[in-house]
Amino acid sequence: MSAEDGQGRHPASIGDAPNREAWSDGFKTGLPTLFGIAAWGLVVGIAMVKSGLSVPQALGMTLLVFAGSAQLASLPLIAAQAPIWVIFATALVVNLRFVIFSALLAPHFAHLPWRQRFYLGYISGDLTVALFLQRYPTAAPAVGKLSYLKGLMFPNWIAWQVGSFVGIFLGSAVPAEWGLGFAGTLAILCIMVPLMINNAALCGVLVSGAISVLAYELPYKLGLLLAVLVGMVTAMVIEETIAKKKVSRG
Amino acid sequence: MADWEIWVVIGVLCVATAATRSAFWMIGHRVTIPPRVQEMLRYAPACALAAIIGPDFLIDTQGEVQFTLANPKLLAGVAAFAFYLWRRNMLLTILFGMLVFTALRVLHVFGAAG
Repeated sequence: MSAEDGQGRHPASIGDAPNREAWSDGFKTGLPTLFGIAAWGLVVGIAMVKSGLSVPQALGMTLLVFAGSAQLASLPLIAAQAPIWVIFATALVVNLRFVIFSALLAPHFAHLPWRQRFYLGYISGDLTVALFLQRYPTAAPAVGKLSYLKGLMFPNWIAWQVGSFVGIFLGSAVPAEWGLGFAGTLAILCIMVPLMINNAALCGVLVSGAISVLAYELPYKLGLLLAVLVGMVTAMVIEETIAKKKVSRG
Repeated sequence: MADWEIWVVIGVLCVATAATRSAFWMIGHRVTIPPRVQEMLRYAPACALAAIIGPDFLIDTQGEVQFTLANPKLLAGVAAFAFYLWRRNMLLTILFGMLVFTALRVLHVFGAAG
């Protein structure tokens, strides 16, 4: 196959042209999650201010870091005056799932200039990746791919920042027992359900969820990573077992 | 921590985000992932989401596992799950789940402890 299509363009780039329809498709797909994302940002905003960060520090953290779970994990360590390398190591481990996510998403956009790849990677959160891969499971070029990603990604970033800012400025007025962060948990639940595409995925999810609870006490949130790995392996083993059974039955 | 130390921490967290989220985007096309690992990675998003929310549903603020009817988040989560399967609408599911959670919490149904 030649590296260029009839118009002399690289085939992978057919998904790059700005495409309004794809952008609004992405926006519509992500729209229901924005409420949960903002509520989650709100909780992190409140937590930052309540743990003793000044308003400029909290604003700087939310704008520069944009990784809620890493931010939340770092707050008790900052309060406890932990060494900076410990905070760094903790944030790396909490974020390790993003390495897996980026391995799934990056091949779709490997042809883009490095600056664009850098920022697309930087602001791709859990929900963005999950929703994008639901629509485009393979890295094959498709019209409007990049616009669809942006339609998911930019509103997600904005919702998070708006929620965080509200949390930082007004958050101390919201009682913790309202449990607003639970809205974020419910948003993730809704995105997870359609990903349970077969029995193998269902088992992976159950195993992963169970291990995340059992291994919750592990330091540096290693339990999260362990849960994802064991869940994936379980799903894979079950998939292969089912496939073998089908073969032996002819 | 001094003000400048906190800014160093913020910088370091920024590097941690870039390293985990963007590194593969920058160098990924020079690395070939074995097909078997690729197969396995297909299940990563679902498993990661499950691992993120598992403790939210089952572990209380004291760090204890609450696998009982007195856990409002667990019950509201099950209700929201059923609601989502029925209506397939995320926004309604979130509102419904928050409503159930808040009702269980405020009304102390099943002795729910905030």
